[in-house]
Amino acid sequence: MPSLHPNPSAEHVNSPHSLLPFLQSQSQTTLTRLYQRPSSCLSIFRLLVPLQQQIVMNLLWLESAIASSTMAAWVVREGKKDYDTALSTLFRLHILSTSPIKLALNPTFKTSFRQALTGGGTTGSFGVPAPKDDKHPPMGIDGLDGYALERWETILHYMVSSGTGQNSMRPSKDVLYLLQRSGLMASPHGSLQITSAGFQFLLHSPHAQLWDLLLQYLRMAEERGMDLVEVLSFLFMLSTMELGREYSTEGMNGTQTAALTQKAMLNDLRDYGLLWQRKPSSRRFYPTRLATTLTSSSPPLPTSTGPSSGPKEGFIVLETNYRIYAYTDNPLQTAVLNLFVALKYRFPNLVVGSITRDSVKKALGNGISAEQIISYLIAHAHPQMRKNNPLLPVTVQDQIRLWELEKNRLKSQEGYLYTAFTSPADYELVLNYAKQLDVVVWENAAKRCFFGSLDGHANIKGFIERRTGGNA
Amino acid sequence: MDDDSKGSHLSVVVDLSPLYWARSALPAPENEFPLTLAAFLAQLLAFLNAHVACAHENTLAVFGAFPGKSILLYASSAPIPDGLAPDTNSANAYPPFNAVDAAVVQRITAELDALPEQDEEAPSALVGALAKALCYVNRFTLPPSANSKAQANGFHPGVLPDPRILVLSVSPDLATSYIPVMNAIFSAQKLKATIDVCQIYGPNTVFLQQAAHLTGGSYIFLERRDALLQYLIMSFLPPPAIRRTLSVPTQEQVDFRAACFCHKRIIDIGFVCSVCLSIFCAPLPVCTTCR
Amino acid sequence: MPPRRDAEYMDVDSDSDVSIGGRKGKGKEKAGEKRRKDKGKGKATEAAYTWEASYTRSWDTVQEDEAGSLQGAVEDWMARGRRRRLLAPAAPVRRTIIRHLVLLLDLSTSMLDRDMRPTRFDLMLQYAREFIVEWFDQNPLGQIGVVGMRAGIGERVGEMSGNPQDVLKAIADRHKLEPTGEPSLQNSIELARSSMNHLPTHSSREILIIFGSLTTCDPHNIHDTLDACVANKIRISVVALAAEMKICRELCDKTGGQFGVAMNEGHFKDLLFELIPPPAQRALSRAAGAGAANPAADLMMMGFPTRLPDASPPSLCVCHSELRSEGFLCPRCLAKVCDVPTDCDICDLMVVSSPHLARSYHHLFPVKPYTAVASMADPSSSNGCHGCARVFPIAGLSGVSEGMSPVGRYRCPECFGEFCSDCDVFVHDVLHCCPGCGK
Repeated sequence: MPSLHPNPSAEHVNSPHSLLPFLQSQSQTTLTRLYQRPSSCLSIFRLLVPLQQQIVMNLLWLESAIASSTMAAWVVREGKKDYDTALSTLFRLHILSTSPIKLALNPTFKTSFRQALTGGGTTGSFGVPAPKDDKHPPMGIDGLDGYALERWETILHYMVSSGTGQNSMRPSKDVLYLLQRSGLMASPHGSLQITSAGFQFLLHSPHAQLWDLLLQYLRMAEERGMDLVEVLSFLFMLSTMELGREYSTEGMNGTQTAALTQKAMLNDLRDYGLLWQRKPSSRRFYPTRLATTLTSSSPPLPTSTGPSSGPKEGFIVLETNYRIYAYTDNPLQTAVLNLFVALKYRFPNLVVGSITRDSVKKALGNGISAEQIISYLIAHAHPQMRKNNPLLPVTVQDQIRLWELEKNRLKSQEGYLYTAFTSPADYELVLNYAKQLDVVVWENAAKRCFFGSLDGHANIKGFIERRTGGNA
Repeated sequence: MDDDSKGSHLSVVVDLSPLYWARSALPAPENEFPLTLAAFLAQLLAFLNAHVACAHENTLAVFGAFPGKSILLYASSAPIPDGLAPDTNSANAYPPFNAVDAAVVQRITAELDALPEQDEEAPSALVGALAKALCYVNRFTLPPSANSKAQANGFHPGVLPDPRILVLSVSPDLATSYIPVMNAIFSAQKLKATIDVCQIYGPNTVFLQQAAHLTGGSYIFLERRDALLQYLIMSFLPPPAIRRTLSVPTQEQVDFRAACFCHKRIIDIGFVCSVCLSIFCAPLPVCTTCR
Repeated sequence: MPPRRDAEYMDVDSDSDVSIGGRKGKGKEKAGEKRRKDKGKGKATEAAYTWEASYTRSWDTVQEDEAGSLQGAVEDWMARGRRRRLLAPAAPVRRTIIRHLVLLLDLSTSMLDRDMRPTRFDLMLQYAREFIVEWFDQNPLGQIGVVGMRAGIGERVGEMSGNPQDVLKAIADRHKLEPTGEPSLQNSIELARSSMNHLPTHSSREILIIFGSLTTCDPHNIHDTLDACVANKIRISVVALAAEMKICRELCDKTGGQFGVAMNEGHFKDLLFELIPPPAQRALSRAAGAGAANPAADLMMMGFPTRLPDASPPSLCVCHSELRSEGFLCPRCLAKVCDVPTDCDICDLMVVSSPHLARSYHHLFPVKPYTAVASMADPSSSNGCHGCARVFPIAGLSGVSEGMSPVGRYRCPECFGEFCSDCDVFVHDVLHCCPGCGK
């Protein structure tokens, strides 16, 4: 079944990363400028699917172009289609130079990527580690994780609670603007309200959420007068940094605009929780786990919620009687569950609720789809649940889908009702004509009427007029 | 769920026999394409980095087979000892690459320097290194056990899909290692690990050929030794999932010869004890193994 | 001849379940077994038999320690495995490698009993399949034939074959094997015996009977058959599913086989799988059997072939006269055969691939057992396992059982490398080669 939002791992394997279409839409000069930095090359390489990676690798150390037929000889017959798709993506990313008969890497990409693998060069694109700071004790990884988690959950929690009218901590103004621009929240009545897209967003994996926001950020970058290449390079540099190490903003050389861009980004990304600075004016920063896992599929957040030593991965147990037990004390997770579960009890580390028709209807009304609910449940299933096959009780899955179908019980179609035929013969004649045109939606012989769709009306009308005209 | 998301594991076993590397480095009359150890290491490191580059989750372990002993040179799950911490102030390299390169090079240098002169010609402990690689794979394919240290490193045990072992050999077959190599092959089959072999110098090795064949790996006899890196990347980098789309070269013929127990000679026709299956190169009145 | 009544053959007082000497302690053994051994038969009512227990009590097998952890139970299990190894003789044992086995399956109506789930018959087929796969894994040069006993006759189900797929195919279709009538031990043993008559003396001849019935319906005196089996040096082993019968016990005792009565599903499997490792050659019986002054050293000439790649130019094979590209070249006459092991059709050389032979070598050259390091008193240079580089625990465990190292280190007596317990088990059970000394 096609799921709209596959879990992050499947996403990495089967479908291209969400950033790639954005990159493909950029011009060749932009991309070539981007490829000048080894760290960007490495990060983009990681976003490729394995087959594309292998093709790039095969070509990387060749000095001259090779004939595409030589390369294609290695492809087994069943893999031809995958291979062609992979090639065309690489062409569109301008990683391969466009030439139909010869395969060669973009020379800029080749040089930079070789440099990335072997080290060396003077681009400094992997971040300049800050010299040891004697005044302050270094920030621990736990502290960074805590900070990233707190920032990120603040954003999500704000979104969840905006609909309920509860007060929660407001993220900074820039974050709110970003949320609004990306259509996740809207302010129809003056106050920011979560939109249907926002509800869907909440059920995504953190990795997908992060990229959703960052993509939006990239789209906004140009309007804000920021250099897109600088923005991308900075993100990619963050993704290649090492968690728990302090980096210096100095030495991130470049022009005046580049420096400005970087400064603005430092501020923004600090708000999102991607990096941590001792104080806003500090000239050094730590990347958090959110940043360093940008190009990987490992969990971008320390998954354990809060200080409790709860289960690391899944926390939801769903029973065949629609009961749901969530081992969590995290307000965000509880709030997200509350989107489609009727919560009953709350204990220090456990929330109990059940999936009811009303609760699912409410979620559907918010624009969440049944598939999203199911994939969320699967993604967060408790390890105990993973022993089941299928993982979720079939009854519950089917019922959730049926409830969704219920919403679509009525289908409207515009058209005309033809009625008041004088004789059964008349009725038959017109009906047969309409049937030949295949425009009959509904018919009732007893009442001598039928309903025809909109596009058939002109013909039927003409037909009736011709007949009545002929009779008259 | 596809296993690829978990990254793939590669264990590299490097044969570091000084004797054969010295021979390999001899210029033109002896070798058409001389290859020194230093040049080899540079290309090896690029290859290792390429593996690490493919996915954040890819894991790597490098084992060195020195004359008479084998050691673990680098493992992505083990913390780098303090003495080997890479140069932290480099902005021009990806830190994980730095860690691999520094650890591998420094340990190899240290081991080779510490090697006593008279040991240099001893056969390298390829079997020991291979066995260690298997132990290592076994450690991470075991279900999560009492050992919670691995988890603390962010490395979840029990999730090591399609592990691969790449043997880079320069020594000829060592007949005494016949039985251990065979045992290693069977263990690899049990662990569903693939053994790839690249014979960089010297004649084809019968046993490693069999190892690659029986575990579904590929065996490559390096002809153009100046193109080592290209060979490595095209043949040994792709994980099994990719090899189903982009095929890799496999060996031409597999030699199923064995070594006799009496003189450790590699033979194609031998005399086999009907009771214990010991192999002898000449008829004996009494089987010396089971008698 | 009317079927014999089982009562007179049942040895009521014999404690059949402990008659298999030296059964190994395995973690998966069912609950009450350990207890039974010392309590004796009278008190053995604690849900050990399948017909007594309506549910499995797997949780009885493991015991929690004071902290509620199962760690202790797991370690205890490993320690038992370790002790077993230490007890095993270090010298190489002579084992029969080329084995011939006829699997005698009871297909009488008694196999439809449901005391083992789903039925004795289905369970037998399932375990037989697993048995065959594992047996060929450990005895790659062996051959298995399958004979069924039903409706008073012996029925050849599968010919003697060295290919596990052939054997599995023979018992794949359960509808062809639907149990009916009474079994006849004599008829089927005679059938099995005749199919093994021609075998050379260096190979073993074995019969494994899975017997669910308590009767046998024989045309003649079965003791004559038994004597013939003894004369032909055929080993008979029986796994009974119902109860011990005197004649079954005698068949095994006189021919040197093993006899066991399965108490429940798990025990049934254990009994079967105990017969997989090649039996140790007994010097006595062998000398008596061979008669000649030269008891061993039937050296066979064998050739190790070269495998042609799949893409080589096709040529005719000598075995089927078909054109094909892949194949193996006989080292003596260079004829192409399709599969190994086989006898070359041209020069009659036995062609085997060396991995076939090597699969059994670990029986000949076992790794020396590692010794448990008793204390941290003798600190070694390494702080990580010599095999997998796992870091050793700093603090020692307390209250470990015999054979376990309190510091989690096990040392090879040859190279003095120290290994963690996981590697210790792996090296001895799977790898059969010490990573330190390569032996």
